[in-house]
Amino acid sequence: MSIASFLSPATQESVAPPAEGVPLLEVRDLSVTFYTPRGTVRAVRHASFTVRRGEVLGLVGESGCGKSTVAFATLAYLPGTAEVGGSILFEGRDLMTMPAGELRDLRGSRIAMVYQDPGSALNPTMRVGEQVEEVLHTHLGLSGQAAEERAASLFESVGLPNPARVGRRFPHELSGGQQQRVVIAMALACEPDLLLMDEPTTGLDVTTEATILDLVAELKNRVNAGIVFVSHNLGVIARVADRVAVMYAGQVIEEAPVRELFANPSHPYTAGLLSCVPAPVNETGLMPQLRNIPGSVYPASEPNVDACLFADRCPMVQDICRESAPPEIVANAEGHPVRCFFPERVDSDTWGEPAPRPRKPRSTNEAPLLQVDGLHQYYGNDRKKYIFFGPPSRRPVRANVDVDFAIQPGRTLGIVGESGSGKSTAARSIAGLERRTSGEVLLDGEPLAAGVGDRPRGQQSKVRMVFQNPAASLNPRLPIGSVLVRSIRKSRSVGKAEARGIAVELLESVGLDGGYMDRRPRELSGGQQQRVALAAAFAADPELIIADEAVSALDVSVQAQVLNLIAERQRREGTAFMFITHDLGVVRYISDDILVLYGGHVVETGPAEAVLRPPWSPYTEALLSAAPVPDPDAEPSRIRLEGAVPTLRQPFAGCPFAGRCPRNLGDLCDNTPPPMRVDPADPRHQILCHIPLEELAADQRAAMRGRSAVGEAPGGR
Amino acid sequence: MDRFSGPTGTYWLGTDEFGRDIFSRVLSGATSIILVSAAGTALGILLGTIVGLSSGYAGGKVDEIVMRVMDGLMSFPALLLALLVLTTLGSSHVNIILTIGIVFMPRVARVLRSATLSIKTMEFVQSARLRGEPAYYIIFREILPNTTPVLTVEASVRLSYAVLLASSLGFLGLGVQPPSPDWGLMISEGRAHIANAPLIVLAPSVAVASLVIGVNLLAEGLREARELPKGERTP
Repeated sequence: MSIASFLSPATQESVAPPAEGVPLLEVRDLSVTFYTPRGTVRAVRHASFTVRRGEVLGLVGESGCGKSTVAFATLAYLPGTAEVGGSILFEGRDLMTMPAGELRDLRGSRIAMVYQDPGSALNPTMRVGEQVEEVLHTHLGLSGQAAEERAASLFESVGLPNPARVGRRFPHELSGGQQQRVVIAMALACEPDLLLMDEPTTGLDVTTEATILDLVAELKNRVNAGIVFVSHNLGVIARVADRVAVMYAGQVIEEAPVRELFANPSHPYTAGLLSCVPAPVNETGLMPQLRNIPGSVYPASEPNVDACLFADRCPMVQDICRESAPPEIVANAEGHPVRCFFPERVDSDTWGEPAPRPRKPRSTNEAPLLQVDGLHQYYGNDRKKYIFFGPPSRRPVRANVDVDFAIQPGRTLGIVGESGSGKSTAARSIAGLERRTSGEVLLDGEPLAAGVGDRPRGQQSKVRMVFQNPAASLNPRLPIGSVLVRSIRKSRSVGKAEARGIAVELLESVGLDGGYMDRRPRELSGGQQQRVALAAAFAADPELIIADEAVSALDVSVQAQVLNLIAERQRREGTAFMFITHDLGVVRYISDDILVLYGGHVVETGPAEAVLRPPWSPYTEALLSAAPVPDPDAEPSRIRLEGAVPTLRQPFAGCPFAGRCPRNLGDLCDNTPPPMRVDPADPRHQILCHIPLEELAADQRAAMRGRSAVGEAPGGR
Repeated sequence: MDRFSGPTGTYWLGTDEFGRDIFSRVLSGATSIILVSAAGTALGILLGTIVGLSSGYAGGKVDEIVMRVMDGLMSFPALLLALLVLTTLGSSHVNIILTIGIVFMPRVARVLRSATLSIKTMEFVQSARLRGEPAYYIIFREILPNTTPVLTVEASVRLSYAVLLASSLGFLGLGVQPPSPDWGLMISEGRAHIANAPLIVLAPSVAVASLVIGVNLLAEGLREARELPKGERTP
């Protein structure tokens, strides 16, 4: 599916208010260079952009492109090792030459920042109200009653529940989304003119992210401020930004209004980023293969050269690209600036025609590779608060309750759910890292012992796991080759030299050469580390690979590389995957079957096509409608979940989702466990709900028609 | 015989009550104290590492019991424990080393255990478990190399404590017996003559102090040398 057809015709409308002469923020030719003992880091190389009042400028790019550095530079908040060139004009005045005292007054009052991790942006030992009042006191001189009232009204404006009382809470008493709301309230305390948001939703669940993005979109209209929104997620950018600046290797390489950028990318890098995002299934049911941008970002340690910094990764590179730098910025046919010699040549096929990805046909009579029945995983025991005295007060955490599923050989089961839904627990129980409380797990028809140490060698090598954090999944003290050789020799009897040979082949199969054998993990980029982790998992020729958020920490281009490797492996070797992720785009792309978990319970399961089409369980529906779609024209869907996944220490009286369910029927849902309903169209598709499926499907179809298809339905656009 | 002679060309720091050259005694005392404290530290680190890594990796009840035993050992004042060991086993270099090792073991074990607790949850350890690696391999090949930053710091801190402990034992008469040139012993014996010849006490005291400071500086330098060029982060 091409990019152009993926998006509907752009409705061009100017969102920016009339210019007032001087833009709110003008960054001109900004360079930031850090001199560290390990060498010179050129984080930003001659970047320029402007922000006007009332608009949201999205800064997007892979990690290492200098997005966050630009944000910090705009606060003139960089360590002493940084050398800053160029100018940052805030309402026409240069922040770089401003006296320190004046700058301090500006920060927090007129320029405010929202950080990525609300957990570390708030002081854990202070009540959140006091922290907001502190800002009010410092900048506005408010104190006592006045400050308290102002804080409460700020809490109300960011949609915190019970604004008058929430200030008495400590940060740890609030959920991640609520913490981020407090941070936003702090940033808004002095009605800033410029708001910098550095990946404000990256650490949050998709459902929480949706509510925060709603808030940002609403703020843009309410406060007359300019917002710089830094994100690596194109879906998020599409949702909130008016204009987008794409950064690459410290340069702004394209800048355009959001609709134009998504409909008509004029830099090959932008086009590449867009084509790395997993698209919905098309009408044929075949997956278009993801295209990926080879290599990695031009390193910040390299000097500025007189050439296009993207040349080494560019599919349409010409001699001239390596000989001279593209002019500062050329306006392309649409009139927006882009740093490329041939913007007119960029189209949806720049990165090659997407090839359909063949999937293993479903066979009904094949015995499952993995069969899980009634998996329970509880942490902790009933414990008395005081030894010998009183009633038991701490119940075990019921992380998985009666989870059943099966994985066919050579197929992929996608497991989705918010954090705290028990996805990772299920993975760890099956892998044998945690001993399950009860339940039966069969691998190839043979029972799988609870602990990995109790399994016979043959079974051990049939199951492998790939983890989220690539840096932590390789031992930093051992060379790459040692983990590969070790894995190979654990599963088959070969000599050291032979194992090394196999290890080199494995590295080559994931796109790295044998020279990496003796390198340490820290010498590799995150994507390379994850590919090595995959190679280590492949080393044993496992039948099942459990991937726990294996692509979540990766940039979108690298994510595509890894997903393609997984698909390739599956096609060639018939390896089955259990793929855990919170990213619905990835689930859609990779899964043959889907399992939706909530609060440790299975709420929906079935073949991917069936799960992604109504009827959905109300939870699946909420997840799907919260997922950011990389399409600025997608109407924000209406279902929002508030609050967090409930405590798992108490068994649920009724439906696990009843407390947050937008379709809650009242007493029935709250107090009676719902039945597992079977979809008559496909008996493998099952939904845990009190509402009959016909009714669910009819409601959900009507709702979708109501907002003119958002791309949720397969082939919907 | 020159007793209590002041500093002269022959006796740079003068002589003691038996007319022995103080400078020579300080110099020759250095070897024994350095060897004893280094060996004691090494023993303590070795035992503590094994106990701390194994206990931390095992976790659960084993960890609970082992660490309570370590707490018990630690609750004895170091000198009291040393007194106990040295009076039962008799005083010798080997026994002093043993004493230092036993005194240090629980402290090292504690530090190493907490390092292990954070490392063992890391994914590369879990991958190794999934590969079916035995516990000893995971403990010594996967976890141990990642504790080296903690270990270097711990070793250097312990070494300077060992110097102090060894000289305290000498001072209390629990260390090697006279006439061995032991710094602690020299200070203890010289106390009676401090008015006549202050250098008898001063020289070994300064020696102890400079050794302790020197060890600390060495540790600081080692740490910087390790950290700076590669800039590697410790897990």
